[in-house]
Amino acid sequence: MTRKIAFYGKGGIGKSTTQQNTAAAMTHFYDRKVFIHGCDPKADATRLILGGKPQDTIMDMLRNEGEDKITIEKVVKTGFEGIRCVESGGPEPGVGCAGRGVITAINLMEELGAYTPELDFIFFDVLGDVVCGGFAMPIRDGKAEEVYIVASGEMMAIYAANNIARGLLKYADQSGVRLGGIICNSRKVDKEIELIEEFTDALGTQMIHFVPRDNIVQKAEFNKKSVVEYDAACNQANEYMILAQKIIDNQNFVIPSPLAMDDLELMVAKYGLMD
Amino acid sequence: MSCTIINKERTGVINPILNCQPCGAQYAGIGIKDCIPLVHGGQGCSMFVRLLFAQHFKENFEIASSSLHEEAAVFGGLKRVEEGIEVLARRYPDLRVIPIITCCSTEIIGDDIEGSARKAARRLKELFPDREIFLAPVHAPSFKGSHVTGYNECIASLVKTIARKGEPNGKLNVFTGWVNPGDVSALKGYLKEMDVQALVIPDIESLDSPILPDKSITTYGSTTVEDLADTANSVGSLCLSRYEGATAATFLESKFKVPAVVTSTPIGIKNTDAMLQNISRMTGKPIPESLVRERGLAIDSLADLAHMFFAGKKVAIFGNPDLAIALAQFCHEVELEPALLLLGDDNSRYAKDPRIVELQETLECEMEVVCNADLWDLEDRIRNKGMKYDLIMGHSKGRYIAIDANVPMVRVGFPTFDRAGLYRHPIIGYKGAAMLGDQIANTLFAHMEYTRDREWILNTW
Repeated sequence: MTRKIAFYGKGGIGKSTTQQNTAAAMTHFYDRKVFIHGCDPKADATRLILGGKPQDTIMDMLRNEGEDKITIEKVVKTGFEGIRCVESGGPEPGVGCAGRGVITAINLMEELGAYTPELDFIFFDVLGDVVCGGFAMPIRDGKAEEVYIVASGEMMAIYAANNIARGLLKYADQSGVRLGGIICNSRKVDKEIELIEEFTDALGTQMIHFVPRDNIVQKAEFNKKSVVEYDAACNQANEYMILAQKIIDNQNFVIPSPLAMDDLELMVAKYGLMD
Repeated sequence: MSCTIINKERTGVINPILNCQPCGAQYAGIGIKDCIPLVHGGQGCSMFVRLLFAQHFKENFEIASSSLHEEAAVFGGLKRVEEGIEVLARRYPDLRVIPIITCCSTEIIGDDIEGSARKAARRLKELFPDREIFLAPVHAPSFKGSHVTGYNECIASLVKTIARKGEPNGKLNVFTGWVNPGDVSALKGYLKEMDVQALVIPDIESLDSPILPDKSITTYGSTTVEDLADTANSVGSLCLSRYEGATAATFLESKFKVPAVVTSTPIGIKNTDAMLQNISRMTGKPIPESLVRERGLAIDSLADLAHMFFAGKKVAIFGNPDLAIALAQFCHEVELEPALLLLGDDNSRYAKDPRIVELQETLECEMEVVCNADLWDLEDRIRNKGMKYDLIMGHSKGRYIAIDANVPMVRVGFPTFDRAGLYRHPIIGYKGAAMLGDQIANTLFAHMEYTRDREWILNTW
């Protein structure tokens, strides 16, 4: 049974980095078969797995060669330890409809049979926020059944996570999608764990893992590699291994109860005013 | 001789040949009994389509709209779908099927109609515990495909939503493709003649509806929920169209192991032969003598016309691909020259269609096939490029080209609203072939008289 997972989170939070490192850890340490579908028009959800190779995105191919010319071989690339990767891509900034691009790309992949049954995990890496119907495509009926939100102790990251939870709540009833937890990608903010834990309690979910900040992530990224590929023995690789293990074993799937704006402000202010 | 297949190179469309996906999906929907399609989009997406149906059949059809407005486009329109489903269920106590058909706008905003259907189904169960109403999501953005693909999508969704495995029923599924009530009558006649029990999907014979003594008039298709459910238990599926219904037939094959034969629309002698042979092969029933006789009658009447009047006449054909290609095959059979074939959407499979390939190999005349074509491709050839056609075959949207250029035209396809009763007259089968031959001949004869062009020949024929 393939588990389909969507990663959401505020832009710049380290969502794609966390997602790719988790994928690499799942493959390297647990021998799982993973497929990554990047759903960000910037098409940066697979570069660490593919060693920075510029991806021909589905939308590039659609624009340049037409729908009929798209084949799995042309758009799905294989990277680190056999991880399969595809990028939706999207229009140039400021034109067209990126949300529709996500819908078109996922439909095409399904039609072409790219999500093969022997896969253990499919990761949908979705841009910042559930801004429109298109970016909710990965959590529609029959697609991703579980969602992880990447957040940190920063105020705006919590806002965004709460907003994503609102989107999830909307779809929980009609598609059956559930929240698997919040991944805290540390920004070394004061009382980060406490804030995230109070927030996850309020949502009714868990902080599935606290990923500490470590410069090796940047170093690996600079080398166009995931941490696991760059140095599988380092502490940070171990952290991703634990995160991967926790996701593999996770049983805690909930319909989130997002906070009202006032409550969220109070909660964040409480921690923000501590200094 | 040569046959060229080209894509229209000009950007933009002038007078499209085919309508949009939601139109086709609605055409499929009205073929089902106790079914009201719910079009999830602006009101025009159902209103103009209803108008087309009314023009074509001279009847009214019940089609609902979620009536999307600005606020729904911004905030999402699913609430309107869910409310719409509930309203339909309350207002129509006999309603059993609702295809939920998306349009451009609702596809772009990404409305999750599968999710909505699931929610609405739960609500309906609470409200009407004794009723089962099937909700079939149909994705039909107009920026893809055409009414042909929309029709195909809707038939597929209906079958996917309703078909259920049960006891083998010994019946044959027959997917008609986009035809007229008269064609379905003819088809059912053949099945009866061969003593074959069939599930005709969709059975639109009754879209030609009577006014009864109590002055009541209701128009609906006759395929029931039970028929659709039972398609999973048939001995096979015969799809009489390559582009209109094949997805449903292949779905039944992969999901329920119901073998599918996807073939040509039975227009002309050869295609009808193939249909009857397929029916016979799939059911084990022989082709009766009566049909051999009917075939003979058709050949006799066509032979009277072919060499004398049809030979060498150049024909321009446009319309649904299955229809247009089959008409080209028919032309070839009766010595007409299918000089121009206009296929009105960008399906890249047309070039590889086995019927086109066969025409390429066997035609003695020049034939141009234009994919993604529009009616300007016809008008421009006549008006500016010196092309001469002796006959145009297509639907009523091309009538002004024929009138302006003074080229006789046989109305065929959808919609045909400028000639009486065409929906009633079959063009499929042997009898349909004979009648189509008559219609072509009479059109040419009237033109000869009108233009005083060797009309005296008719005195001596």
